[in-house]
Amino acid sequence: MNHASKLILSIAGLVAGFCAGAQERFIFTPQWTPQAQFTGYYVAQEMGFYHDAGLDVDIVHPTASQSALSRIFKNESQATTLQLCQALEVVGSDVPLVNILQTSMNNSMVIVSRRGVDPLTQKGARVGCWAAGFGQLAFCLSDREHLDYDWIPASTPVNLFVKGAIDAALAMSYNEFYQLVQSGMEFDDTSVYRFCDHEYNVQEDGVYMRYDYYINHKEEAQKFAEASRRGWEWAAEHPEEALDIVMKYVRMHHIITNRSMQKLMLAEVLRLQLNRETGEREFRLRPDMVKLASDLMVENGMLLAPVSYEELIAR
Amino acid sequence: MKPLLDKITYFLRKSLSARLGLWIALFAALIFVAALGFMFAESRQAVRSEAISHATQTLESTVLRVTNILDEVMVATDNTDWLIPRHLDAPDSMFVYSRRILANNPDLNGCSISFEPYYFRDKGRWFSAYSLNENGGIQTTQEGNDEYEYFYMDWYQQAKLLDGPCWTEPYNDFNPKGIFSSDVIASYCKPIRDKEDNYIGTISVDLSLSWLSETISAVKPYPNSYSIMIGEGGTYFVHPDTTKLFYQTIFTETLEHPDPDRTALGHAMQRGEEGMKQLVVNGESCYVFYKPLSTTGWSVAIVCPERDIFAGFNRLRSSVLAIVLVGLLLMLLVFRRIVSRELVPLQQLAGQAKTIASGDFETQLPDDGRIDEIGQLSHSFSEMQSSLVNYVEELKTTTAMKASFENELKVASDIQMGMVPRIFPAFPKRKDIDLYASMTPAKEVGGDLYDFFVQQEKLYFCVGDVSGKGIPASLFMAVTRNMFRIIAQQGHTPAEVAKQINDFITQDNEQNMFVTMFIGCIDLQTGHMDFCNCGHNPPLLDGQFYPLKYTNQPLGLWECDQFSGESIDDVRGRQILVYTDGLNEAENRQMEILGNDRLLELMVGAETLNAEDVIHKLQKAVEKHRDGASPNDDLTLLCVRVITPSEN
Repeated sequence: MNHASKLILSIAGLVAGFCAGAQERFIFTPQWTPQAQFTGYYVAQEMGFYHDAGLDVDIVHPTASQSALSRIFKNESQATTLQLCQALEVVGSDVPLVNILQTSMNNSMVIVSRRGVDPLTQKGARVGCWAAGFGQLAFCLSDREHLDYDWIPASTPVNLFVKGAIDAALAMSYNEFYQLVQSGMEFDDTSVYRFCDHEYNVQEDGVYMRYDYYINHKEEAQKFAEASRRGWEWAAEHPEEALDIVMKYVRMHHIITNRSMQKLMLAEVLRLQLNRETGEREFRLRPDMVKLASDLMVENGMLLAPVSYEELIAR
Repeated sequence: MKPLLDKITYFLRKSLSARLGLWIALFAALIFVAALGFMFAESRQAVRSEAISHATQTLESTVLRVTNILDEVMVATDNTDWLIPRHLDAPDSMFVYSRRILANNPDLNGCSISFEPYYFRDKGRWFSAYSLNENGGIQTTQEGNDEYEYFYMDWYQQAKLLDGPCWTEPYNDFNPKGIFSSDVIASYCKPIRDKEDNYIGTISVDLSLSWLSETISAVKPYPNSYSIMIGEGGTYFVHPDTTKLFYQTIFTETLEHPDPDRTALGHAMQRGEEGMKQLVVNGESCYVFYKPLSTTGWSVAIVCPERDIFAGFNRLRSSVLAIVLVGLLLMLLVFRRIVSRELVPLQQLAGQAKTIASGDFETQLPDDGRIDEIGQLSHSFSEMQSSLVNYVEELKTTTAMKASFENELKVASDIQMGMVPRIFPAFPKRKDIDLYASMTPAKEVGGDLYDFFVQQEKLYFCVGDVSGKGIPASLFMAVTRNMFRIIAQQGHTPAEVAKQINDFITQDNEQNMFVTMFIGCIDLQTGHMDFCNCGHNPPLLDGQFYPLKYTNQPLGLWECDQFSGESIDDVRGRQILVYTDGLNEAENRQMEILGNDRLLELMVGAETLNAEDVIHKLQKAVEKHRDGASPNDDLTLLCVRVITPSEN
């Protein structure tokens, strides 16, 4: 290559860099600290899927002082992940949101109690839950089944349960459940109540953005959703490589976890993305599940009025 | 491999000394294995007991040291917390108390006295008096805010929910910028109660566990042993592999690779048990000694590789085994040499026995004066040699006698065969008699006989079969044949001839021998034939059995007044075959007889043959039927036909 060619290429690179720099930055904030729950987004970023889509995405995780939702409310982030029940709560409080990508097809929440003890027989038991939220379905269950659980909010209920300070705990099947197993806890079918196996199978994680932002940035939203979906599909096909990417983010943020835990988490998250009826990774919000969640939350008083499927989906 | 094995097997089979040496070495090895095995097992047990005792004592002293310091923390807290309920009317005094605890206990990192939300109305949702020992000074602040809702923290909740003092899981302290330090912190927490005994908050004292980590890590009873500490949730807080600290629990590796032993150890440590377990750690067998740390819920363990514990024992065992192995090899070689030397006379004996076996009976056997088993064997061999010489001599004599006897028997056979007419045609000058006969003894001499002669235009003939075989039968046959010729030449009828022969041979017949006989007499002019059958086979006339009217007794059995004769008017042109049972009862290898039916088949078409051809045909048939089997009886055949002038 001669000097002239090198010069032309250098100028072309500078122009491309300038154009890219001109692209409006798209800040995406997952609702929790880095972990395999968000593998698809890390993959899309690291494999250049967002870049290929013409997006300049920055993944900014929430901190103790700034939750994902607060970043959305303050327009500091353009998109976040939320569980369906969380999204309904937000929409119900008159902050319109739009679901631009639905990843979860099944509910992951479980109630665990001591081995051999059925959580549904522990009326009035002290049950640990997240102080940060996520327990809407469990509250509905407690009321509907007249269990009158004594909810103990905690940053995470894992240590309290291990110490024996509480009788039962809410856990995500991909996260806290494995943390408990890693802490030496042993469970059987009786001691684990899986919401997805009962009439509470409500989808969880989806990518949401404010409606007012969405209206003006439909193209970006669509590109982000498609690139994210591509990231998840790649992760499903290359779980070990995807895990390497997850561990990069985990180490960067000094998360107390290990590869084994993240491997189990990724496998479970990918499993929860499959539609039980079709066995397919469908990436769609289900109207029946929106209605179920909405009805449960209205019944429980978490919503004053129902929120419809149409209110959530991208139009 | 197999050829080598075959060579070894062949060598062992060939060499008695090698075999004996090997057996002795094997037996000795068996004794050594039993004795050393017992000794090693006992020694190993002793070393193991000593190791357990040593490690347990080390662990106990370590735990005691740590516990003493933890107890001081608890006492320091207890000494102050009673003041809190007495001054609830002055919330700001809590800053003083939290500060005082640190001032009185410089080893403590921090202390917080925290209350339930809105406990002090005028203080708002959060009130946590927190003092921090930092850079040699004590900083005191109100800790709670909307970013740090302390009542959701483990240290606050545990004391509240467990309703009593407790230690939190150790945790890694971090500063507000999120940068982790290497310091490990644990908090001792106690619930605070008002005068009505209602829970109102938690007092928590923070302690740096750096010294604890150093103390526990320093425990090293063996060169490659190391110590670990886990929290109640199984998390490693002390471990030589620092990448595992906080990030992994004792169960983490079992998530992907189940290990029941490790899981059992983790559960035992979590339950606060004290003991020892043997398990494989990183592919190496280890003894793990574990003990709980006071009331913290934490557990300390010392991991000792088995190779370390048994290093001395293994060295001793290897040395002893090497010595025993070399000793056994030497024993094998020495025994083999000794046995070889002892077996030299036996080898000489074997060589000389071989010489004797080749026929040299005069070989001198060694006599070295030994009286042991080999000497006895040599003596027995010498006696056997002497016996053999005698036996061989006797054998020579017997063989010579047998040869002589066989020669005599041959002569006897020739004489016997000479007694019967054997020159055919029997009557060369006569054209009217076609006669042929043969006698084939089963042994050298037989008991069959035949004879014929012409006298006064009458053809006398007979065929007989003496009971038994061999020399006695041949002698009886000679007598009978002579009697027939003498008596028949006197012109008697066959019946009379039979009676006179019977009378003669019945006398002094102590051997009870007898002879069946067919006696015939043909008038050559008229063709009339008289005959007398004495217990003999019926003759064949023109190829068919002739139906006899009388079957008299065999000759020689007992006296008889009269023998019944029969006659045929004219036998001219008709073929008469007289034979002994060596024909129809000839047996093959399967003991099957030729049979009368087969005889009749053979005679079909024989009327066109002359007498000699008939006899030869029957002889061939018998030989074919025997199919190589030895003759079971003497075979005698006589065929005669009186030829009419028209036939000529």
